[in-house]
Parts: sequence; structure tokens; C-alpha cells
Amino acid sequence: MDRANKRELVIGAAMLATGVIYLLLTANLPRKAFIDAAFVPYLLAAGMCLLGALQLIAAWRQPPREDGVAPAEAGPDYLTVGKTLGLIVGYIAVLQWLGFPIATVAYLYLQFLVLTPHDHRVSHGRYLLIALCASVFIYVVFRHGFDLLLPAGLLDFIE
Amino acid sequence: MFELLLSGFGAVFSLNILVLVTVGVAVGIVFGAVPGLTAVMAIALCLPLTFTMGPAAGLSLLVALYIGATSGGLISAILLKIPGTPSSIATTFDGGPMMDKGEGIKALGVGVVFSFLGTIFSIAALIFIAPWLAKVALSFGPHEYFGIAIFSLTLIATLSTGSMLKGLFAGAIGFAISTVGIAPVDAVRRFTFGIPNLNSGFDLLIVLVGVFAISEIIKVAEAVRREQKAAVGQVSMRSIKGFGFSMKEFFEQIPNAFRSASIGLGIGILPGIGGGTSNIVAYIAAKKRSKHPEKFGKGCIDGIVAPETANNAGIGGAMIPLLTLGIPGDAVTAILLGGFMIHGIQPGPMLFVSQGELVYTIFAALILASVLMLILEFWGLRIFVKLLAVPKHILLPIIMVLCVVGAFGLSSRIFDVWSIVVFGLLGYGFVKGGIPAAPFIIGFILGPMAETNFRRGLMLSDGNFMGFITSPIAGSFLGLAALVIVWQVWGAFRDKPSKTAEILRA
Repeated sequence: MDRANKRELVIGAAMLATGVIYLLLTANLPRKAFIDAAFVPYLLAAGMCLLGALQLIAAWRQPPREDGVAPAEAGPDYLTVGKTLGLIVGYIAVLQWLGFPIATVAYLYLQFLVLTPHDHRVSHGRYLLIALCASVFIYVVFRHGFDLLLPAGLLDFIE
Repeated sequence: MFELLLSGFGAVFSLNILVLVTVGVAVGIVFGAVPGLTAVMAIALCLPLTFTMGPAAGLSLLVALYIGATSGGLISAILLKIPGTPSSIATTFDGGPMMDKGEGIKALGVGVVFSFLGTIFSIAALIFIAPWLAKVALSFGPHEYFGIAIFSLTLIATLSTGSMLKGLFAGAIGFAISTVGIAPVDAVRRFTFGIPNLNSGFDLLIVLVGVFAISEIIKVAEAVRREQKAAVGQVSMRSIKGFGFSMKEFFEQIPNAFRSASIGLGIGILPGIGGGTSNIVAYIAAKKRSKHPEKFGKGCIDGIVAPETANNAGIGGAMIPLLTLGIPGDAVTAILLGGFMIHGIQPGPMLFVSQGELVYTIFAALILASVLMLILEFWGLRIFVKLLAVPKHILLPIIMVLCVVGAFGLSSRIFDVWSIVVFGLLGYGFVKGGIPAAPFIIGFILGPMAETNFRRGLMLSDGNFMGFITSPIAGSFLGLAALVIVWQVWGAFRDKPSKTAEILRA
């Protein structure tokens, strides 16, 4: 079994698992009649399980590709993906406490660093300046121009 | 009708809407031109700006973004040889070679002019078809809406790019996520896990921003560190007359443009497939009907006229089911639907009765945005070319911040911000699994419509299912849905991929 088939099998398993989880959650819904709030979720759960099973069968029966696609020169950079996700989660976690302006400057600066291509020179001063300008501009425009109460956090006293 | 249209023009020519439409078209062109940024992103990010605007101003801005972003893809398709949006995939086939031959400005001129003509053609169709269809739809009840929703769901899931199984699954999971919250009719809480924030379910904007914008940022993070600066082709505007092509060339392209516009309009009306497919179908049709098919792919203007006319003609097409039935044809119209709802407006046949002036203001805004697109895209080309060079590692984090602002602005809840991350991860999972995102979104929107009308229809016919079959319109749509499924299953067994699918997968 080649890599592509294994990938399709994993996708099928994930589809089936999603269907089963949804079915279990649906089973906990209160029943009042045959056609009630749980009717459509049951149909959907059955449909998802069936589609997952069909995907698994299709992936299992699919013959291995003879002219297999040559492996890419370099695979996805999951380390950068992980760091990016970590930064996004951290940013949201401190958004209310630190406030939008400070949290955004920190997030943007760090995210610029994480995403900078290998052949680019890291310019800390430029990155900080862009982060600061973007954060202040967005905050002022939305808070004062569009009356959007973005969290001020530690800078609440400025208001 | 013309009086309403004139009053619509009166509204859009007020200073604030005129400025908003101009800015909207310009921003839209940038989002369309920069690969990785999309029309959905542009509208999702600008949606919070419309919170404090009136419906006419807010919706004019959103449709201006839509027109700019759909057309902007041709700039990168020709200058970078990378389609800025899926709607411009086929434009690269001849745009790139024309650029290599030193005819870049001609390619851009042709693309811009025929994008404009395609848009105008579709807006004309929209203005004439939509009010008539809305009148017919006024008599629709729950049975008919259920039939239409099921037909649309089937079409979307089966016609989406890639595997039919995955398309259907994406539609089902979108539908399943829409069941979170209070159920229609009997108001039972479903899948809320005791979390009060989940009682009202997930907002459309949150789901769209997560699946289309956040997932894109995560996806770009996979390769951005290895990315090298794209070579942006340079064009000179010196000694250029008009739009860079002759009147003879223009008139020669009229049949091709008309055919492509009709294809774009027809595909745009169908739910689930839009500019991403119509540009390729129109390109294939133009090549088949051409007296010189061997010139295609080597830099002929026919190969630019066809995709650019077709993708823009999809704009008016996709607006027809949105405005008359409240059914979005694709992800962009889905987010436009979100824009309507934010302003307390429910698209559907009643919109033409209760908000006629607003509908015609939107039509006028579409026409104005098309004209501005023609002017800005060609004569402001140098500025857009410069923006193509803005590095992604700077641009994407700023877009991420704007996504956070948009999500927070909806109800001032951090919960919504967390939700966009969850949907972003789901969207990223879709990308990795080759599962199309459009059926997911349409399932999320049409699911509640199908369920609510199913329950109401049953109540109206005292629990008798035959009501869905005996209603001629509902029965016809359900029959068509069954036919679509049978046709697709039969097609899957034949195992012969279409040319369009081959190009889309390439």
C-alpha cells in the first residue's frame, strides 16, 4: 500500500470516527417523537458513518499508483505551523488581560520573526515599528472610528 | 423598475457611498491579486467595518469588494503567472505566454475590459431575472424551500472539486455543526454541553473567517520560510492607446465573450460552483469553438477573454439565488448573506417587496463598482503591482489580527475569537485531507433552512410526508436532487475524469 492510499485510509477513518462521535452525542438528546430535534442529527450521523465507511472501502480497494508522484523536495514545515499556532493561542489567551494594543504588538513582532523566510534578513527594529504602527492604527480606527470596544487591558487607564 | 434603479443610483452617488465603493474595489483588487488572499477574506475582514454603517453603505462596500477581488486575480495570473484566485486559473494559460512575448499590457487590458463586460452582462441578467424570480418565489412555502435546500445541498456536495464522497461529507459536517444550539420548532438545546455561549450556535462570520482565513494563514506557514521572492513581471504604460488592443481585436472577441458570459452566468446561478469552475469551462469551450485551437496556451487573447468574462459573469449569477431565495451560491455569496443578516436583512423574495429600494441600491452599487474596477484596475496598475511585492510574512500576521478584530467585534466575546481558531484548524484539516471547504459552508447555511422547513412542512401537512412530493415545485426539486445523485454515482462508476476536474486537480 502506497503513501497516498494510507493517507486516504486515515481520512476515511477520521470521517467514520467523526460520524460515530456525532452519533453518540445525538443519542444523548431527549426524544419526544419520531420527528423531533434528534431526527435530523440521527440522519446526519448515519450519513457521515456511511460516507466514512465508503471512503475506507474506496481507499482499501484503490490500486497502488504505479507512476507514483515523486516526493516533494521538502515537506511541509510543521515546526513553523506549530509555532504559528502556539503564537495564535497565546495571543488570544492574553488578549483580554494585556489588552489589544500590547498583545497585538507582541504577537505581530513574534509572528514576523517566526514566518521570516530563511533567505531574508531579520530586522528587529523594522518589525517592531510595523507591529507598533499596525496595532495602534487598528486599535484607534476600530475603537474610535467604529465604536468597537476592543479590550484595552493594562492600558485601560488611558481611556 | 427604472425609477427604483435611478433612486438606487441617487443613493450610491452620495459622497460616503462613492468613497466606500471606490475603496472597496481597490481593496478587493489587492485581495484578488495577491495569491493566498481571497474575496472571502476581503469581505470577512471588512464586515466589522460595516457594523456602524447603514445597510445601503455597508452592502455597497461588500459588493464592491466582491467585484474587485473577482477581477483582481487576473493581475497576478498575468504578471506572476500564478492565479490570484481560483477564478483566474485559466487566465494563466495564455496570460503568462503573452507576458513572455512582451504583450503583458495587452493581456491586462483585454482581461480588465472583458472582466468589466462580463460583470455588466451578469448584472443586467440579475436586474431582469431577479425581480421576476422573486415574484414566483413569493408563493413558496416550507415544502418548496425544503425541496430547494435539498437540491442545492446535493448539487453543491456532488459538483464540488475532488472526491464526491468527501464533498458530501463536508456538506454533512457543515450541516451537523449548524445543529449546535437551540433546535427549530421544539427549542431543545442540542450539543451545547452546558456552555451558554453555544445556545445560539456558531455565527456564519465566525465559521467563514475560521475556515477560509485562519486555515489559509496556517497553510501558508507551512511553506512561507522557504518562499523566494516572486518575480513580478514589469509592464510599461508608455505609448499605450486605450486599453492596449485594437477595436478589430475587440469586435472579433464578441462571440467568444458572449458564450463565456453565458457559461459564467449559468454556472454562477447553480449553487456550489462558481468562478473557480466557470473560467476553465469557458476556456475549454473557447478552445473547442476556435478556428485556431493550436494557438491556445501560446499567448492568444481568446484564452484571456474566455476565463475573465466567465468568472466575472458569475457575480450576477451567484447574486440571483442569494437575493431571491436567500440561498448563497458559493462561499463569497455566503459571506454576503452574513453581511445582510448583520444589518437585520433576510434575503429572499420578501426583500423585493419590503426593501425594494435597498435591492436596487445594491444593483446600482454593482454597476458603479464595475465601472470603477475598469478604471482603477487598468490605470492604477502600477500601484497594485507594487502591492504584489509586500512580503507574506508581514501581510499574513496583520490579516490574522484583523480576523481577531472581526470575530471579537461580532458580540464582544473572546469565545468567538477562540471559535475562529477551532474552525481554522478544521479548515486546515480539510486542506490536508483534500476535503472541499465550499460544501461545508453551504451545508452550514442551508442545513438549518432544510431542517426548519422540513419541520414546518410536516406540521402544515399534519405529519404527512407526501406534502413534499405532491407540491409540484418541491417534488420537482427533490426529483432533480435524486437525479443529480444518480448521475454522479453513475459518473463515479464510469471513472472518467472531466477535463475541468483534471485542470482543477493539476
